[in-house]
Formats: sequence, structure tokens, C-alpha cells
Amino acid sequence: MIPWEQLHGAMTHFPIALLLFSAACDLASVVLHKFTFARELRRVSFYGVAVSAIASVGAVVSGIALTNGNMWGRGDLGWHHRFIWPAFGLLVALAVWRLIVKDAMSRAGLCVYLVLMVMASGFIAAAGYFGGELVLGGG
Amino acid sequence: MFNEVEIRAATTAFIASVCVLTVTFVGGGIYWQHNGRLAKDKPSSESEALVAKGRSLFLQSCSHCHGRDADGGEDAPSLLKLQISGAHMTLVIQNGIKDEMPSFAKKYNDADVEKIVAYLKTLK
Repeated sequence: MIPWEQLHGAMTHFPIALLLFSAACDLASVVLHKFTFARELRRVSFYGVAVSAIASVGAVVSGIALTNGNMWGRGDLGWHHRFIWPAFGLLVALAVWRLIVKDAMSRAGLCVYLVLMVMASGFIAAAGYFGGELVLGGG
Repeated sequence: MFNEVEIRAATTAFIASVCVLTVTFVGGGIYWQHNGRLAKDKPSSESEALVAKGRSLFLQSCSHCHGRDADGGEDAPSLLKLQISGAHMTLVIQNGIKDEMPSFAKKYNDADVEKIVAYLKTLK
């Protein structure tokens, strides 16, 4: 018997932390663009979003197994899913886009990318909150 | 505004995202169907798991007042041989009883309350 509850708990923190970290590095690289390390920050954020997307597959698979394939649900589980599916879709799209574009980003492209990164971070943070509520309870 | 590489990458990213979500939902749906069939084959083990989880939740939140074996405590009555329906039990757990018992609506969702009720129904 695979302990999906423990596996999901362990796996799910990687994409959350890495996505938030990647978004923070991207925003910092824009704010601190005059410094030479801004380029390194962008490189770190690139690897962050790439590993986050890969890790999210494990988190999603373990989550589906944990809920017996219930992709929606009610209450906190429903809210967890309402946020996690847009976050997962956005995360995959952003990672693929970044992988192809690399550093050949225009100003407009960077702006749209950052807005979507902030949105994905919000979605994944909210999904993480409701996931925590499922485990720890609301009271 | 956007360069050519970005536009091509956006199209690829959109297609990749749609494909991944489609595979996820189709896979999840198949798993859901498969587990549904398993549940029909093993109704007793499913309900046993529900009752076991219900007892675990009961021990976490109810046993302080109602006793570990639900046979009553100083401040709360015994829950053995309850003569009320499952729907009534759900209502009491979710809404509480004024000045006597707190509401657990925020702490437990519908599925959790269902587990607690399943456990309470087994008490004799």
C-alpha cells in the first residue's frame, strides 16, 4: 500500500516553494536590473520554474491517487482544486515558454511573463492554503 | 512588441498546457471510474475505512467531552444508542447546541462530518 497522503505532503512543497522563489527572483532581477547579479537571478528563476514544473507532476499524480481520482470535490478539497488546476496549467505553460525563449525576452514578453508568474504564485499559494486546511482542519 | 520566438513559444506553451491538463483530467477520470468499480466490489472495506476515520476524528475533537468510548463525560452525555437520524447528527455536529456544544462546521467539512456520523452509527 503506497502512503499517498505522506507522499503528496512531501512532494507538494517543492513546486510551491520553487515557483514562489522563481517569481521572487524574477521580480528582484527586474527591480535590481542595474546590478550585474540580475542576470544570475534570472538564471536561478529559470531553473526554479523548470524544476517546479517537473516536481508539480509528482505532486499532481500523488494528489489524484490520494483523492481516488476525484478531480473536483466539495468544501476545502473543492477550493484546493479550483486553485490548483489553473496553477498547474499556468506553471506548465510558463516553464515551456521560458524553456524556449530563454534570455531572448522582449520587454513586453517579460511583463506578461511576470504578471502570469504572479498569478500562478497566487493560485498555488491559495491551493496550498486549502490543502493545509484539509490536513490540519479549519478550527 | 513581442518577438517571433516569444510568439512561437507562447503557442507551444499553450498547446503543452492544454495537453498536460487534458491528460491529467482524462487519467484522473479513468482512475475515478476504476476506483468506483473497486468500491462496488468492496463495500465493507470502504465503510470500515470511513468508520475508522470517523473514530479518529471523534477522538480528536469529541472525546474530550463525550469520553473516549463515547459513553459520556462530566459535561456531555453518552452518545451510545443514539435515537436520532444521521441527518440530525450532521446538523448537531455542524451547528452545535446553544450554550452546550460548539459548532464544528469550520473545523470539519461535509465529508469529515459524514465519517463522524458513520462512526456514531456503529456505537451500541
